[in-house]
Amino acid sequence: MALKPREETLVFLNYGERTLSDDGCLTCGNVAVPVRVLKVQGNVAEVEDRLGERTTVALDFVPDARVGEMLLIHLGIALGRAQEVE
Amino acid sequence: MRYVDEFRNPQLIEKASRELHAIVEPDRVYRFMEVCGGHTFSIFRFGIQHLLPPNIELIHGPGCPVCVLPMGRMDDGLHLADEPDVIFTAFGDVMRIPGSRGTPLELKAKGRDIRMVYSPLDALRLAQKEPERKVVFFAIGFETTAPSTALTLIKARELEVKNFFVLSNHVLILPAMRAILESPDMRIDGFLGPGHVSTVIGVRPYEFVAKHYGRPVVVAGFEPLDLLQSLIMLVKQVNAGSARVENQYSRVVPWEGNERALAAMAEVFEVRPFFEWRGLGFISQSALKIKHEFAPWDAEVHFTLAGLRVTDPKAAQCGEVLKGVLKPHQCKLFGRECTPERPVGALMVSSEGACAAYYQYTWQGAAGE
Ligand code: SF4
Repeated sequence: MALKPREETLVFLNYGERTLSDDGCLTCGNVAVPVRVLKVQGNVAEVEDRLGERTTVALDFVPDARVGEMLLIHLGIALGRAQEVE
Repeated sequence: MRYVDEFRNPQLIEKASRELHAIVEPDRVYRFMEVCGGHTFSIFRFGIQHLLPPNIELIHGPGCPVCVLPMGRMDDGLHLADEPDVIFTAFGDVMRIPGSRGTPLELKAKGRDIRMVYSPLDALRLAQKEPERKVVFFAIGFETTAPSTALTLIKARELEVKNFFVLSNHVLILPAMRAILESPDMRIDGFLGPGHVSTVIGVRPYEFVAKHYGRPVVVAGFEPLDLLQSLIMLVKQVNAGSARVENQYSRVVPWEGNERALAAMAEVFEVRPFFEWRGLGFISQSALKIKHEFAPWDAEVHFTLAGLRVTDPKAAQCGEVLKGVLKPHQCKLFGRECTPERPVGALMVSSEGACAAYYQYTWQGAAGE
């Protein structure tokens, strides 16, 4: 896994420090993991976290997700997209 | 664009802390509840209370689903694991919740087929792979987690999976806030609203807190600066005598929430007339039941549950701690009979429970207070 440039890491961290391999408390739902969309295929997307770990997530709740966008995922399902901060 | 660096920048934190000291009115006590366990955890982890003026008191709310699950409900679930054809599945954090006969992990060691899953969708996949067995998913969580369970049930119906069942223990954060606001010994001046729950439900649903109870709500992020900024927003509202709902965490939380996630929840779940919360008792309309249309996948319909009730020991003062009447270390059992290794009460169970967080991060400090 290639190390991400600092800027990119900071963008991820803006939306939380969790990564896909974190095993914190899932049930409180405050572990939404920020990920970047790499590929969209139907209603699943291949995504990558700030450490470069990849997984596929269901896009049923964010069906218009696009490649390059930052999503917040919880339990293998995208729950929302990160909004730009001014 | 601002980065998390800034949300942890010591100068900015110092500045926010100074602003907070400057705006609080000295002859007034501000009691704010952080509803969500994630906030409780951040507050202790970053030592936020040390950055606050002494007259701001943080009260740790009920926002940890593991903590508020009654032991009887866990026992009901684990009874299903006794049946030889059942595979019992749950999230990792459920594996450590004690039932009367032990935790799921301990029962697994005794030979029950109990498996940890990361997503309810994984449990559904397992059911497809093991068509001869019955896969039960022990569902737990607030509005952040409930949409995933709903989606999984919708997919189970689509794929016609007949050996998959969900035992729903999903609870709702708003009725719990209402119950706390209704309680006669309530002394809360405002709320830090939960961050990621609001990704799903949005900000609007908190309006009743402002309108009917005259208390401000600020939906807050999890970084130190997020928390301080949100507290500044709350103090300003209290000083001005106003009660509005504000969104400090707009970089993640849209005002409207996620419509599709809400629609999936509405398709699959209905509100139970009442449900028991550990530490708070029965709260009406506070939990989700699987709708009749999804009965073939409802573990409560398919299996017979004992409906067990196990009461917490009388000496446990979880209810008072939840309502902000007592601090965790003021409970008679804290640190003696009740520790994270051997929790007696609900709030010691997960690391995001108020008593466990308090025990882990500040007990030594607090003991000398
Ligand atoms: S110390 Fe234990 S019994 Fe006392 S309030 Fe906390 S969790 Fe409940």
